[in-house]
Order: sequence, then C-alpha cells, then structure tokens
Amino acid sequence: MTETVEVGRKEVILKRTRWGRIKDSLNEFWLVFSNNTSALVGLAIFSVILMVAVFAPFIAPYDPYVKTGMPFEAPSDAHLLGTNDVGEDILSELIYGARISLLIGFVAAVVATLIGGVLGLLSGYYGGVVDEVIMRFTDVWLAFPGLLFTIFLAAVLVRTPIGGRIIYTVIIAIALNSWSGVARLVRSVTLKVKEMPFVEAARAAGASNFKIIFRHILPNASPILLVSVLTRIDSAMLTEASLSFLGIGDPTVKSWGMIIHYAMIRNAIVTGRWWWFIPPGLMISITVLSIILISIGLEEYINPRIRRGF
Amino acid sequence: MRRVLVRRAITSLITFFIAISLVFVISRLTGDPLSELIENPEVAPETVEALRRAFGLDKPLYVQYINFIQSTLVGQLGYSINYKRPVFDVIMEKLPYTIALLIPAITLSNYFAYRLGVESGWRRGKKFDISITSVSLFIRATPHFWLAIVLLYIFGVWLGIFPIFGAVTAGAEYASIWDWLKDYLWHYFLPVSVIVIRATGAMFLYIRNSLVETLGEDYITTAVAKGLPEKIVLYKHAARNALLPAVTVMGLRYAFIIDGAVLTETVFSYPGTGRLVYEAIVYRDFFLLQGAVIILTTSVIFVNFIIDLIYLYLDPRVRYR
Repeated sequence: MTETVEVGRKEVILKRTRWGRIKDSLNEFWLVFSNNTSALVGLAIFSVILMVAVFAPFIAPYDPYVKTGMPFEAPSDAHLLGTNDVGEDILSELIYGARISLLIGFVAAVVATLIGGVLGLLSGYYGGVVDEVIMRFTDVWLAFPGLLFTIFLAAVLVRTPIGGRIIYTVIIAIALNSWSGVARLVRSVTLKVKEMPFVEAARAAGASNFKIIFRHILPNASPILLVSVLTRIDSAMLTEASLSFLGIGDPTVKSWGMIIHYAMIRNAIVTGRWWWFIPPGLMISITVLSIILISIGLEEYINPRIRRGF
Repeated sequence: MRRVLVRRAITSLITFFIAISLVFVISRLTGDPLSELIENPEVAPETVEALRRAFGLDKPLYVQYINFIQSTLVGQLGYSINYKRPVFDVIMEKLPYTIALLIPAITLSNYFAYRLGVESGWRRGKKFDISITSVSLFIRATPHFWLAIVLLYIFGVWLGIFPIFGAVTAGAEYASIWDWLKDYLWHYFLPVSVIVIRATGAMFLYIRNSLVETLGEDYITTAVAKGLPEKIVLYKHAARNALLPAVTVMGLRYAFIIDGAVLTETVFSYPGTGRLVYEAIVYRDFFLLQGAVIILTTSVIFVNFIIDLIYLYLDPRVRYR
C-alpha cells in the first residue's frame, strides 16, 4: 500500500519537474524569438493566413466549387477578383486555396520528417554499414535535381494513386523531395544522444534497441523534428505549387498552384487577365516568406552561434 | 592528386548508377510503364505491343533491369509517342537551347551572388545589406514559375517589348546570321533573366553568411590592424575564404537551376529539354519523360564532378589529404 503511494508521489514530482522544464524552455524560447523582429513579423503574417484558412467558409463570398457568374468576368463589385473559365469566384478560390496549400504543405513536411527522422535515427544509432549505406544514399539524393525526380515519381504514380486519391500520391512525392536534410540533422543528434549515460543505463537494464531508439533517443531528437517540420512546410508548398502548375495533381483540388495552372492553360497570361494568376502567386510567396522568417528565428534559438544580423 | 581524382570519378559513376536504377524502380512502380498508352485512344494496341516487345517489357524484371542499364548507357532511351521519333534524338535536338540557358545562368548567378554577398556581408546591418537580403528572401519565397509568369506578363504582354513564346520568331527568314542572333537573343532575354534572378537569390545568402562568419576571424582583425586598405582585406582575405564553403553548395545549386529550367521553359514555351518534361506530362509520353529525367540528371552529376575538380584546385587541403 505504502509503496504504491510513494510511486504515485514520485510520478507527480517527476511530472511537475518535467512540466517546469518545458515551461522554462518555452520562456527562454520566447525571449530569444520575440527579440527577432522579422521572426515576429513572419509569425504575424502566418497567423493571419492560418486564420483565413480555418475560417474560409465565413470569409469567402462564394463557394469556389459553384458557378456564381459568367465565365472570364473581370473584377467587379460582385466578384472582386473576377471569375475563372467556368464562372467560379476567384477570390473564394483563393481563400479556400489557403486551406489546401497549407494542409498539403504541412502533411508533406510531416511525412518528409518521418522518413528522414527514421533513417537518421537508424543511421546514427547503428553506425557502421547501415550508417554508410544510408548516408551515401542521402548524399546522392541531395545532389539530384529534386523537383525533376518528384515530377517523374508523381507523374508515374498519379495513374494508380496511392489509397485511391491523387492527393496522397502527390504528398508522398513531395515528401520524397525533402527528407534528406532531416536525415542528416537527426543522425547528428542521435550520435550525440546515444553516448549519454542514460542510454547506457537503459541498455544495461536490458532495453531492446527498438526501445532505446524510440523511447530514449527519439524524445531527445523531437525538438529538432518539430522545427524541421516547420522549416519544411515552405519548400513543400513550393514543390506542390510547381507540380500543380505543371498539371500534376488532383484537378478538382484547388490549391494556389492549381489555380495558376488553370489560368495558364486558359491563356489568362497572354490575354492579360492578371487578377487570375497574380494573386495566387502572391499568396504563395507571402506564406512561404512568413515561414522562412519564422524558421530563421527558430534557427537562431536552436543554434545561438548564428547571428544573422536581421 | 590523381588518387583523389579517381575516387571522385568513381563516386560520380556510382551516383549515376543509383540515379538510373531509381529511374527504373520508379518507372516500374505501377507495374507496367505502358499502361497509360493502352488507355490512349490515339495509339493503336498493335503499336503498344510492338513497343513492349521492342523494349523487352514482356521479360522478367531482372532482365528488364539489365536491358535498361545497357540501353541507357548506349543512349537508347525509347521512342517518343508524341514526336514519333527516338527519344534520344528529340532530346539532343533540344539540348543546345537548354545548355545555352544554363551556362550563363550558372556563371552569372554565381558572379552576382558573389559580388552582392560580399558587399552585403561587409555592410551587415546597414541599409544596403537589409534591402538586398530582404529582396533575396522574397525571391527565395517566390515560386519559380510564377516569377517567370510575372516577367512574361509585364514585359511580354503588358509592355509588349519582349516576345511571349519560342526561341526564335516562328517561320521567320533571316538575311544573315546576325539577324538570327538578334532574334534569338531577343527571345532569350526573359527566360535567362528568370533563371539568373532565382539562382542568384538562392546563392546570395550562403555567400553573405559565410562572409559574415569569416569577418569574425582573427586574421581579418590582423589585416585591418596592419592598416591594409578595405578593398584588399575584403576581397583578398575575407572573400576568398568565404567562397570555399559556398563552392560546395554550388553543385546543389546546379540541380536547383535544372529544376528551374523545366518550369521557366514551360512558361515561355521555350523549346528546350525542360519543356519536353512538361510536354511529356501533357501528352503522357512515358519514354520522353523518362529520357529527359535521365539526361538532365546525368548533366547534374557531370557538372557536380566538374565542380569537385574546381574545389580541388581552390582548396589545397583537399588536394593533399
């Protein structure tokens, strides 16, 4: 009886200190981050775009998948950015597009981080031949024209989509474009963590390799993984936009890149309908820029030696 | 020196094999690379069967793999459904246009990034640095194809001072080679500008940050303390050392430039190898897509090898290790 009480108390104490540590590091993080003006600007812009994405149905004047005007209308009071080739409102497409572009970017970044994370953990933990093979492969992959391979992979796979949805296929193809950086980062963290005393203790207590990797090393690598998800959303969004622009993707899912694709194939550029292709590109640029600015702030926090002087 | 060279060459060869093996794996992921042709109403079933037999797609997978490697090495990349000609011939015909875009893109963007990066790093925190750095960040955040579209719209459509598609005026007859060159350069200006701007934006920050780091070194303080002129300290002492880490990422930049060429050529309807990628997607021309990927990737590996050699020349420590 007394034993369980004691164990219970210990758990409470442990939890409290861990929570305290998280709070401390959050405070420290905010101190560094809030000192960086451009990172704050980035965060503000990103928050606004996130809000637009979340509350799209309340903000958008129309349903972007319903014909609400004549085809190819110029901007007017009824349609602030005009209409597309089938008479759907472009402003509404743009607002709903925030959801799709952000979501695809985010999920692809998570998948890329998972792939890179697992490879990095294995490579760093086992070392030797495993490490050699994985790292050589990573090097080779880094030197490839990534977009070209992503295009090839997506173009081949789109014919028989994974899980029956083209969008999943596109996400996987995008993720394969950007896992290699994560693998290197996680590997270097793993190399450091695996030499720490608690890993040795865990091994002495008879923990399996699997348990050591996922219970002991992974939690220590998780801040890096979180940051890498965030810093990969921007490149994932750019890749998604490029694929959609080339016409690889689900034609019924209107991301910002897909809007530009339709504008191009319906000759909006040569006929001067700027309201169709300028706004979506601007939205991509601003969103990606805000994420880059946030990333720079995060990097400064993680690696204090970097002083970029922004 | 020779040993390092041989090792680099072997690494490049291994990379090449991994690359074409990957292309093989990807192309067989769906089981049958010709499945799309079967659905294409414009292609007769007999043609598909003939292609299948001609490229040994009815044989077991490992035989296909060996055949694939062999035919790739001798430049047999298959048959283009759209052009109705061997893929290799189509690509080789278009390749000069792409190379003509890429060479100035690589050299100019590296030069601009170098000059701007050094000047910007030297004035870090000043107005010049902040404005150049902000512009480069915005360029980095801009989708490549969209930058191309914006320039095409402003200068080609709105102002009307540049042509909106092609490498030369369609159907034009030229009195002399100079007339042709003038027409060619007129078409060439916008696409090459897009690639140079994007590549400069991507490279600039590396050089700037590398220079800022170098400026913190003791030997820079010494050089300044000796009373050497600013220009000498900056270009002879700091910039040379700042350039080394930047050269290593030059190879990566080249892969990035190729990616950009695909998008830029698509926007400008420029008849290069990059545009073939887009056409192959639109016309579902499998062998053309595969061939373009192989040729462009090979060029990346080749250029990386050359960059390695330059690096050997620049950094004696690597040479004598």
